[in-house]
Amino acid sequence: MAIHKILFASLLICLLIQSSHAATKERLFSDLEKSALEVTATPSRVGEGVVLAAGVDKLSITWKVSSTATKEPEFNAIKVKLCYAPASQVDRPWRKTENELFKDKSCPHKISSWSYDPAMKTAQSFDYTLERDIPTGTYFVRAYAVDAKDHEVAFGQSTNEDKTSNLFSVQAISGRHKSLDIASVCFSVFSVVALLVFFVNEKRKAKIEQSK
Amino acid sequence: MAHHNEDEGSIGTSMHGVTAREQVFSFSVQGEDDGPSSHTARFDDPTAKFALPVDSEHRATAFKPFSFAKPHMTAFHLGWISFFTCFISTFAAAPLVPIIRDNLDLTKSDIGNAGVASVSGAIFSRLAMGAVCDLLGARYGTAFLLMLSAPTVFSMSFVSDAGGYLSVRFMIGFCLATFVSCQYWTSVMFNGKIIGLVNGCAGGWGDMGGGVTQLLMPMVFHVIKLAGATPFTAWRIAFFIPGFLQVIMGILVLTLGQDLPDGNLSTLQKRGEVSKDKFTKVFWYAVLNYRTYVLFLLYGFCMGIEMTINNVISEYFFDRFQLELHTAGMIAASFGMANFFARPLGGYASDISARFFGMRGRLWTLWILQTSGGIFCVWLGRATSLPIAILSMMLFSVGVQAACGAIFGIVPFVSRRSLGLISGLTGAGGNFGSGLTQLIFFSSSRFHTADGLSLMGIMGMIFTLLVAFIHFPQWGSMFFGPTSDERKSKEEHYYAAEWTEEEKRQGLHEGSLKFAENCRSERGRKAASDGFSHSTPPENGNPAHV
Repeated sequence: MAIHKILFASLLICLLIQSSHAATKERLFSDLEKSALEVTATPSRVGEGVVLAAGVDKLSITWKVSSTATKEPEFNAIKVKLCYAPASQVDRPWRKTENELFKDKSCPHKISSWSYDPAMKTAQSFDYTLERDIPTGTYFVRAYAVDAKDHEVAFGQSTNEDKTSNLFSVQAISGRHKSLDIASVCFSVFSVVALLVFFVNEKRKAKIEQSK
Repeated sequence: MAHHNEDEGSIGTSMHGVTAREQVFSFSVQGEDDGPSSHTARFDDPTAKFALPVDSEHRATAFKPFSFAKPHMTAFHLGWISFFTCFISTFAAAPLVPIIRDNLDLTKSDIGNAGVASVSGAIFSRLAMGAVCDLLGARYGTAFLLMLSAPTVFSMSFVSDAGGYLSVRFMIGFCLATFVSCQYWTSVMFNGKIIGLVNGCAGGWGDMGGGVTQLLMPMVFHVIKLAGATPFTAWRIAFFIPGFLQVIMGILVLTLGQDLPDGNLSTLQKRGEVSKDKFTKVFWYAVLNYRTYVLFLLYGFCMGIEMTINNVISEYFFDRFQLELHTAGMIAASFGMANFFARPLGGYASDISARFFGMRGRLWTLWILQTSGGIFCVWLGRATSLPIAILSMMLFSVGVQAACGAIFGIVPFVSRRSLGLISGLTGAGGNFGSGLTQLIFFSSSRFHTADGLSLMGIMGMIFTLLVAFIHFPQWGSMFFGPTSDERKSKEEHYYAAEWTEEEKRQGLHEGSLKFAENCRSERGRKAASDGFSHSTPPENGNPAHV
């Protein structure tokens, strides 16, 4: 019975903690200031049907605060992320775009983070090599401007609002290695051979015993 | 209660057929004790060499889980650990799906279909396993499964797309037939009186593998990543661990295990007599009994749901509550780990209810456990906060897992002749149910996973109503009493009906008759008032028994 009491108590405590968090969870994407940042992302290889290789190819990313940005005084840092284009979200609910920011899963890959200096009015640019854990898919780049409380206030992206222009494709690494393949074959063969050896041996021993 | 002269092999003291929990393909080993009974233990008394007390067939009559004594407890531990290892391998992919789906560019349908495939193979392998164990013995049956499916586990390193992933998961799934070889092995090693508890523990502790894997694989993955591998390679390396476990267990089974209390099958087959029933007959009587199909479906919605959850729950917690991979794994693990006590508890609850209410008690216990499992499954799907989700998941796990234990409290009474096959068919029903629920609710984008869980719970509750259709003429059912027909309400009539007149003339049905006598306790409290004039307790060593 003591177990039930402990369970109930811990449940109550958890619920209280949960409710105290609830207030911060309703920040919406639609509340953010659109196009506050001008972002461009240029792949190292361009062309029709070009697919970038993860771990090898680079993106050249530039971001600049737009002159029309109204929330600019709140900016504390700029976070640049790699986001999925709609084509890569089909039949994959774990990449879904949600309006509530904490639920949104369309931009899971962090590229880099820059602290914001209001004095710098020129465009910042840097190179980013696609990480080796980027999955195969179609992407664009988005930069969020966050305030001192680490809440997003504005954003800009390298594609248009419908996410149809300036997208690039990435091909993931296979994750396979020749050494792994060889090890796999060796252990498999060992397993089968060991079994057969035991089996044949025992049959032989039984026959010998019977003939005695 | 056990005052019978177990170590003397005198006529009438054999525990063979005391309760139903025995292998159909039983055999008698003509040991040295075929002379008249002697009250003094002889020097060459073979029972003296066993660490545990045994009956006249050298099956252990005591269950000591902390012992590893040969051959009985060794067989028990090797059996359940082999089954446990196979559960680890079959569900090893589930907690790593968030990584695998990125590496192989899988869609929700791909993941769902692979989940269905992972449990489908065992439908067939579980059916075949009974026959394999008869032919080769439990030891080789287990070792063959372990060591021939280890290559399939290693072959995860070759997988590069959805098709490959599905094929490998399908092939790994065959090894779930170790359920049958494990239960077969314990059935030949342990006496009928305790076999319910032994099988419940072996089954439950083996099923725990589905939980442990949710914890083990993310941890192994994490360690391999720390050692420097990229995620898309690390998960492939992680699969070597279940593979190694299988090979090691296979070798242990072959070196330490023993088919039968007196030795290995090949040796005994050439020495003593191994009498067998005809497979066609056993098959026929299993197929004709409608309760086989009811149990097939019922198990599909307790064990089946349990296996489905093993496949989907980790990903569910990862996605819905934005947890770390190993946190989601830990929560998912606690679902499967509840098996440690939940399944034996279900079997025990079934036995207790039978003591008071007979078979009707067993049926109601099953219905209550499985329905409450369904209710909590619905609640799990509705839960939007993490603590409520975990609470409902834990209650859900106890409900369905205890229901699994309770079903196998009923299976042994459905048939005496075809027990092995019906057990295998019931087990296969579990896999069928798992494949079906994954296909309907978790393989397409039609339902959110949360809704899928709730709908699965409702479907489970609907199918659980089938328990009401299990009716025994001698004991009744959930709502109806036993038949008033004087002849048909005897247990002997039910079990002897599985033998033809010709076979009865040859006396082949004696075992069934003995069994019928001893399961009169399934009448509940009324059995005591009926008096035990029919069942002669073996203590007297009454020759009239034979």
